[in-house]
Amino acid sequence: MFSTGARALFRREILRFVRRPKNTFLPPAITNVLYFAVFGIVLGGRIDRIAGFDYILFILPGLIVLGTISNAFENASFSIFHGRWNEYIHETLTSPLSYLEMVVAYVAASAVRGLIVGAIIAAIGALFTPVTVEHALYLVVTMGVISVLFAGFGIIGGLWARDFDDLTVMNQFILRPLVFFGAVFYSLEMLTPTWRQVSRLNPMVYMVDSVRYGFLGYSDLVPLTSLGVLVGLTAVVLAIDVTLFKRGFGLTD
Amino acid sequence: MPPAIETRDLRKEYGDLQALSGLSLTVEEGEFFGLLGPNGAGKTTFINTLVGLVRKSGGEARVFGHDVETDYQQARDAIGLAPQEFNVDRFFPIREVLAHKAGYHGIPQAEAKRRADDVLERVGIYDKRNERFDWLSGGMKRRLLLARALVTEPDLLILDEPTAGVDVQLRHDLWELVTELNEEGTTVLLTTHYIEEAERLCDRVAILDEGRTVTVATPDELKERGTDTIAVRLESPPASVPPLGEYAHETSLADDRLEVRVDDGGSTAPRLLNDLEAAGHEIADLEITRTSLEEIFVDLTDREDRTVTRSSASGREGGEGDGDGEGGGAEDSDGNGKTDDRPPERETEGVA
Repeated sequence: MFSTGARALFRREILRFVRRPKNTFLPPAITNVLYFAVFGIVLGGRIDRIAGFDYILFILPGLIVLGTISNAFENASFSIFHGRWNEYIHETLTSPLSYLEMVVAYVAASAVRGLIVGAIIAAIGALFTPVTVEHALYLVVTMGVISVLFAGFGIIGGLWARDFDDLTVMNQFILRPLVFFGAVFYSLEMLTPTWRQVSRLNPMVYMVDSVRYGFLGYSDLVPLTSLGVLVGLTAVVLAIDVTLFKRGFGLTD
Repeated sequence: MPPAIETRDLRKEYGDLQALSGLSLTVEEGEFFGLLGPNGAGKTTFINTLVGLVRKSGGEARVFGHDVETDYQQARDAIGLAPQEFNVDRFFPIREVLAHKAGYHGIPQAEAKRRADDVLERVGIYDKRNERFDWLSGGMKRRLLLARALVTEPDLLILDEPTAGVDVQLRHDLWELVTELNEEGTTVLLTTHYIEEAERLCDRVAILDEGRTVTVATPDELKERGTDTIAVRLESPPASVPPLGEYAHETSLADDRLEVRVDDGGSTAPRLLNDLEAAGHEIADLEITRTSLEEIFVDLTDREDRTVTRSSASGREGGEGDGDGEGGGAEDSDGNGKTDDRPPERETEGVA
């Protein structure tokens, strides 16, 4: 699947964000320093422990998820859309890469960016509070799946967008609210039964809960069920990506 | 060996608009083939169908026997395209852009870098290898597009208006380079508005109009299809046009100058002179003008919106990068309706 051509595209995609740390790594680092300082230190001391964990430790998995998926999504959507806007995506489209290879290269590179940002946030969190990992393998697999999932969503967003405003709308008005209502800052146990059921419709809940389980060993949902839902959803999204590339959606006349 | 390009009844529709309406064309391997046609004739749509940027509505298109949709990987691997638009990756220095493009075609990294250097030297912009695309002049951008098409060492080189809006020196450099490539065995498909270019470079040309092939022939064959003009200056201006044989399709008299349109000027001139002398006229001077390819082109594509440029009369000879419309300004005129609302490049870079 990863031919020389696909590796070349993957390398190009990695270099694109690695060479622009001021645009790609610095903003989430600063934002998360502020989150940890304000929610963890300033406000956290006044908030009761949740499920037996200090508040700063409880929110850490959610913030990692937020940073990871936002960056995976942004990278894929921006790379595709900027390439379409300036038409240099034609360099890829006129090459002998298969549509599957194109999607895999774009998604893999964007997922890597999401994971790097996730690691940066974890490292920042570790500066504020001791961080433990209770289920390392589960955590690694889950982080991999959610970063691929949102890179896959980013491909759809990049193909669908008609201008740069559309990218902003997707990130600010769809992604971010879903994450904030995905139990980043609270436990599902704190909600009424009705809202708890409604929350289960939000895919972010499964991600935050899974990553929290990986770090803290605590979850509101059944961990393997959450992972299963995420893997299934990721497979569907990647299939949609490849289909859209095959059909030339947003790419060809 | 299958033809380099073979299309049968190729069609592309955009709603009610027929961009390609049953285009059938064969380009043999090793040919230098020209595509001529007015704006909107379907030249770029045709090219983009071959490389996968346009999806055909019907018909067949093959590149070296590979169907452009079912065997798209093999078809695309054989093609190097230098498009009209400046569609180059802005994020990387041009040397890396070329190495990436070679990489997408399966060429290992070290070899891709070597090829990038080679083609940059070949098109004469090696010293700019560490610059980004946006910092190149218009002429250098054109050279880069050609370099990008060559870096994969394609069997079929497609050049879409490669010399539009470039200066005379660059145009001649490009002509020399593509002629050399063709002599080395690369099949070349060239679209151009410059009739002189097609006349000078192409083994055969196809004239397209309204999405279909009007004719395919060598430039000489095409010119033979037109009429010639014999202009005769008479010693004494006659009062009216002297009676001439059926060979004269059209005559005009202005003072002592008589112009006669005939099929073949060379073989008809002696008859015309005999007829004039028999009628008592004395010949002072005679000139035969052959039909130009440009005139044939205009006759075959007789439409109000046609655009045809004879390079010697072009007003764009002044310098690199100052072309307009179809040429150096192609970036601003891509036909996708994005002309006015694109933000500047550097504004977009900071988004993600």
